[in-house]
Amino acid sequence: MLNRASLDRALLEQYFERILAANGPALSRLAASYTNTLSDRDDLLQEIAVAIWQALPRFRGECSERTFAFRIAHNRGITHLTRARTRTSGSIEDEEIEVRDPAPGPESDLAQRQRADRLKQAVHRLPVAYRQVIMLTLEGLGYSEISEVLGISESNVGVRLNRARQLLHDLLENWK
Amino acid sequence: MNTDVELDVWREQWQADGAVPLNLRRNVERQSRLMRIGLICDTLVTIVMGGGTTVLALRSPESDFVLVAVATWLFLAVAWAVVLTANRGLWAPSAIDTATFVELSVRRCRSVLTTIWFAAGLFLCEVVFGLGWAYNHAIKGHATWWSWLFFSSLRIDIVWVCTLAFFVAIVWYRRKKRAELACLLELRREIAGPIGPRR
Repeated sequence: MLNRASLDRALLEQYFERILAANGPALSRLAASYTNTLSDRDDLLQEIAVAIWQALPRFRGECSERTFAFRIAHNRGITHLTRARTRTSGSIEDEEIEVRDPAPGPESDLAQRQRADRLKQAVHRLPVAYRQVIMLTLEGLGYSEISEVLGISESNVGVRLNRARQLLHDLLENWK
Repeated sequence: MNTDVELDVWREQWQADGAVPLNLRRNVERQSRLMRIGLICDTLVTIVMGGGTTVLALRSPESDFVLVAVATWLFLAVAWAVVLTANRGLWAPSAIDTATFVELSVRRCRSVLTTIWFAAGLFLCEVVFGLGWAYNHAIKGHATWWSWLFFSSLRIDIVWVCTLAFFVAIVWYRRKKRAELACLLELRREIAGPIGPRR
């Protein structure tokens, strides 16, 4: 017979699987925007997943699952950034980031991939305050959800998003 | 390009990638296990040290061992009390918003920097007590107390090596934490309000 603890654990595991399945790719992209290499991204993603797993028993549904997961992910990202900047004693965002090798395929796919990689590089170069807002916007979050994740007002989200879009546009234009 | 269309194009390009490592679930389990072991270790040190000296005091006919047991429990109690006091109000669920999290991280870092001095002081007290106790129980015959302190046995030499290693580690850790605090304060400034692009 299953006891209560193992039943709770089974439920938590189910819940955890569901959050990972729904947000895994978004969390991976988020981890990538805080790191420079693919192995660092995987390490950060693992840290994020561990933090979600540990915070899950205390989650009472005060916010949506996505907000819950993204808050944890950004907080782990901030911790990673602090450690990385401490190690390199400065900004790591200006360094070139590692992107995956383009898979063989039609030329149109390659061009699309290159555009996506350029976008990633450009987002990575934005100051943290703008990077966070644009990342969450690109993931499809609205003003109120972004404000809940970051702990800033909705009007502040709007101001930052406008500035972030302008900066991103300029960076991508200069790349051409 | 219309800005909303541009945003949609970016969104499509952004969401095109997002690989999740296949072994992520297994790695999470392994990492959680390791963290649990780490937590148990802290308690285990208390039980082994405190319990060990208590057993020694109960079994030994010498009353001096009672002093060692009492002192060990006293040191452990002071260490736990300071750690718990320093961490009071610094615990929060990891799902708090980013602005609050950065604020909390700054406070945690400052608390660690304060606790480091205490750790150094406590360690010094333990070494002084331990060496004092050992000197009182040492076989007499050394010309001076300092010749006993530096040249009497390998065990005493190990104490010195450990003390040196401890203080080197403390200095390194303090430097690391100070650099971390500086980074956190910079991040807090960056996150607190819209700022210009980094040039």
